[in-house]
Amino acid sequence: MFNLVIGQYVPLDSYVHRLDPRSKLISVFLFVIIVFLANNWLTNALMVLFCLAGILLSKMHFSFIYRGLRSVFIIVLITFLLNLFLASGGTVLFSWGWLHVTTNGLFQSIFIAIRILVIIVVTTLLTLTTSPIEITDGMESLLKPLKKLKMPVHEFALMMSISLRFIPTLLEETEKIIKAQAARGSDFTSGSLKSRIKAIVPLLVPLFVGAFKRAEDLAMAMEARGYHGDVGRTKLHQLSWTWRDTLLLAAIVLLALLLLLVRN
Amino acid sequence: MDITFEQVTHVYGRKTPFEKRALNNVSIHIPSGSFTSIIGHTGSGKSTLVQHINGILKPSAGRITVGDFVIRANEKKQNLKALREKVGFVFQYPEHQLFEETIIKDVCFGPMNFGVSEAEATKRAEECLQLVGLPSQLWHRSPFDLSGGQMRRVAIAGVLAVRPQVIILDEPTAGLDPMGREEILSLFKDLHERLNLTIVMVTHNMSDAANYSDQVIVMDGGKPLMAGAPERIFSQVDQLRKVGLDIPETMEFLNRLLDRVGKKETIPAFTINEAADAVIKILGGVKDHV
Repeated sequence: MFNLVIGQYVPLDSYVHRLDPRSKLISVFLFVIIVFLANNWLTNALMVLFCLAGILLSKMHFSFIYRGLRSVFIIVLITFLLNLFLASGGTVLFSWGWLHVTTNGLFQSIFIAIRILVIIVVTTLLTLTTSPIEITDGMESLLKPLKKLKMPVHEFALMMSISLRFIPTLLEETEKIIKAQAARGSDFTSGSLKSRIKAIVPLLVPLFVGAFKRAEDLAMAMEARGYHGDVGRTKLHQLSWTWRDTLLLAAIVLLALLLLLVRN
Repeated sequence: MDITFEQVTHVYGRKTPFEKRALNNVSIHIPSGSFTSIIGHTGSGKSTLVQHINGILKPSAGRITVGDFVIRANEKKQNLKALREKVGFVFQYPEHQLFEETIIKDVCFGPMNFGVSEAEATKRAEECLQLVGLPSQLWHRSPFDLSGGQMRRVAIAGVLAVRPQVIILDEPTAGLDPMGREEILSLFKDLHERLNLTIVMVTHNMSDAANYSDQVIVMDGGKPLMAGAPERIFSQVDQLRKVGLDIPETMEFLNRLLDRVGKKETIPAFTINEAADAVIKILGGVKDHV
């Protein structure tokens, strides 16, 4: 039912999985910025190659990533078409009424489509190879300097990891309630719009009641186990930065330099 | 309504790294008017199995026949709503499905979804609430004011109010105290006998399976391991132990007693009275050993 790949973690043992979440986060952040340096065939090819290398190193199946990305293809397609017709310059390939497709427009839209796809693949790769806990740990560690400015970094990270942790639980719960109400004759998939909206109520009410109850239980369980916030708290899994992480950052910097060199 | 599974396979998360075969080529038969218990270790496919009976899950391969309804793999348009009117389903922790402002409205939800008029639905709701033993002064209160056990009764009334011919129970007594358990199960036993309802119950409690059902199906690893009368199933102690299941407490007791007196046999006795008779029989045979 929930065939979404973005945000899903697939536990495997690979080079990319073993990387420190901090290096992955920084790399993805930098990558998303330097994507905008690519403006010709060679630079775009470099970005695509980098992505392919990442996928290969993560041992993730291409088909799996492809299927997850199918749902965002429509966005890519719309941007592609908009750019195709709106960008000008170069020789006109064909025109239809007031719509003109030019060589420039064609290249531009291909580049932009590649740019979006590359960004999505890289961020998907991050979440596929890094567990939500690792991501929040990495975030907390990276944002540590902000604590000096009295920012509640730890609380923020805790909120994030709790919400990430409970997404699957909520989905499971939703599925269970959908099943239970469907067994009582409720129909979510057919009928008029009004009846479909009405069919949402028997789903939402139990979902909210359950979520509030769970939040209360969780708060109580945390207090019972002596949780008192950030001060003096140690971590079960220490993050460790290895030469692999340095290598990854070096690769990103190298990629950026290459792009600067060969871009128009 | 007869329920027949023919070579049914169900695969979760097909073509993802999480692919899991929950049912593997299952063929079983549940006769109309029977009280069937399905037992098995956690993850043996019990819940997946029963969710096929009212079309909540669809088979990846094979076919299921419920009365006149046929559910086949890869078939999109099916008249599931009509099937669900005939097959009621009490899910695990059914109290989580309550949502209406008042108890009586919540019980009416099912029947009204199947096109019953409001007046008739209210009549049925009152009847069913009486049946599950919820005091009438509570009927117009919010279901969220009730205790867990009472909420479960309301949820069960909500399923009964549709007047199904088959009722599926997925661990209906999980989390209830012994008395609540007894009451709920007696209610279904009574419905089964009085209205000739077909009941399919998934349970972890061997005594419940032994005491209430006339057929027991043992699931293991997505396949039915054995099926038959409880007396026959629970006599196969070693087989059950191998798949992580126990025998009813009464039988456990008798087995130990038989061991003490040096006899090698199993006596299927599920109630206290049956067990007492068996004890007399065993001890009567060996006079010098008390």
